[in-house]
Amino acid sequence: MTETIEQRLNRVFQEIFDDDSLEIRPEMTADDVDGWDSITHIVLIAAVEREFKVDFTTAEVTGLKNVGDLIALIEKKTSK
Amino acid sequence: MRFTSVDFLLFLAIAASIFRVIPAAWRAAYVLIASYAFYCTTSPRGAIALAAATLFTYAGALWCERLQGTSRAFALTTAIVGVLVAYLMFFKLVVFVPHQGITSWIVPLGISYYSFKLISYVLDVYWGKMPAARRLIPFAAYVAFFPQILAGPIQRSDDFLSQIGNGQTVLPAILRIAWGLAKKLIVADHLATAVNYVYAHVSGLHGGWWIGFYIWPLQLYADFSALTDIAIGTGRLFGVVGPENFDRPFNSTSISEYWRRWHMSFTNWLADYLFMPLRMATRKLGNVGLVMSITINTVAIGLWHGIAWGYFIFGILHSIFISFEALTAKRRKRLSKQHPEWEPARNVLGWFMTFHLVCFALVFFRAETVSDALYLLRHVASHVADFRGIFEPEGLNSARAFLIGLLGYALLELCERYRPDRWLAQIRLSGPRYLRWSLYASTALVLVIGFALLVATSGEPKNPFVYAIF
Repeated sequence: MTETIEQRLNRVFQEIFDDDSLEIRPEMTADDVDGWDSITHIVLIAAVEREFKVDFTTAEVTGLKNVGDLIALIEKKTSK
Repeated sequence: MRFTSVDFLLFLAIAASIFRVIPAAWRAAYVLIASYAFYCTTSPRGAIALAAATLFTYAGALWCERLQGTSRAFALTTAIVGVLVAYLMFFKLVVFVPHQGITSWIVPLGISYYSFKLISYVLDVYWGKMPAARRLIPFAAYVAFFPQILAGPIQRSDDFLSQIGNGQTVLPAILRIAWGLAKKLIVADHLATAVNYVYAHVSGLHGGWWIGFYIWPLQLYADFSALTDIAIGTGRLFGVVGPENFDRPFNSTSISEYWRRWHMSFTNWLADYLFMPLRMATRKLGNVGLVMSITINTVAIGLWHGIAWGYFIFGILHSIFISFEALTAKRRKRLSKQHPEWEPARNVLGWFMTFHLVCFALVFFRAETVSDALYLLRHVASHVADFRGIFEPEGLNSARAFLIGLLGYALLELCERYRPDRWLAQIRLSGPRYLRWSLYASTALVLVIGFALLVATSGEPKNPFVYAIF
């Protein structure tokens, strides 16, 4: 069975924030994750780009409000 | 007009009273007029530059919105932001080259703050975060809003525009202003004279250099956060709640945390409009890109205060601190997971290190020259007890005044932990109008009497706000 976007994204989150118990939820924001600040944010974005082989623009990244937005953006980018 | 002047309190009392009685539909226009009136008392010529920059950005954003989605939108946005940055840089540089025959130029008041507001507004429109403002009056009021024009806080346009036209909240506003005035006049100014003396006589002192190292940051915090308190309180009298600027920064346990709690409206602005785009551009360069973005960001923080070596070194030092933290974050996190029992010691050590590194960098920020800064740092630990020479026997620079400042600072930290002004402000006042207004009036009266007493006992407040010059 292939992994869903959410499962793959969860793996990226666990790797970047070095926390195997981390479980992402759509309504999750930077405030909910220890170590998610403006510095790690783009490290995360770059890792997501590598995982899903997509390229985000600055405008797309600034528009993200929570994990749900990120999932929606990945879906939009990968379905093209 | 200085926030701690009697003129300003009078201006505020009259302007806020009129705001209360005019129809809600006129509020934005009224705030605009009051803001330009305030501006013109100091700099009528600067008001023309302010109006021109406002109109330029207003029209530019509308045009940019029309081009949205085309490649020309990027070119136009770059051009508008470029003009605004050049406008800011021009005046920042002019101050530091007075010998080139352009001394007659006067730096437009508050340019460091309002140009940031304009830049982020254009970028928000370009990124599609908000539509371009159609109505010129509320937008012009946003740019010129007098409580924020001297030294921030830097409010985002969508936040401001959604509030303009609201009614005033009197009690929280007066309490916040009183809190700011007390911080400035009782804490900051009493500490300032000793600190100023140390930095004016760095190589001539017999001892007491630690005052320049440890007390200067406390003075700066009391001074700058007081300015923000007065700005936020004043804003509330005109229906607008501005963003917070400080969150007890000296309680941070890392430098990154410190920057999330110090001058927040400014650092958040830089995080969104400078650091984020830089990081996006350098994200494929790994750690090199990370350190590069951090360095550009912290040097920009330093040089925003002025073009000088001290500010540059201040920026470089923080870039080293933050880069070190970012590059070791994962390793440190793993270590603390393996040894949860170290947590309390780690917090104390983190706090101790952070506070000292912040003080260290601030010496370069404050000293007249880099060699003064180095001299002071070399002598911090020598002749610690021999500081009597710094104090005059009488006046604001007496040892007694310094002690008042220190005790005041301790009280300030305690109060900010529990924020009595917040729960006081939450008291829901019910009852007849005359009763509520008697309370407001008596609170304001206590404020004025307290202010008058302070002025009478310590002389006319002569120390301008540190951040009023940036």
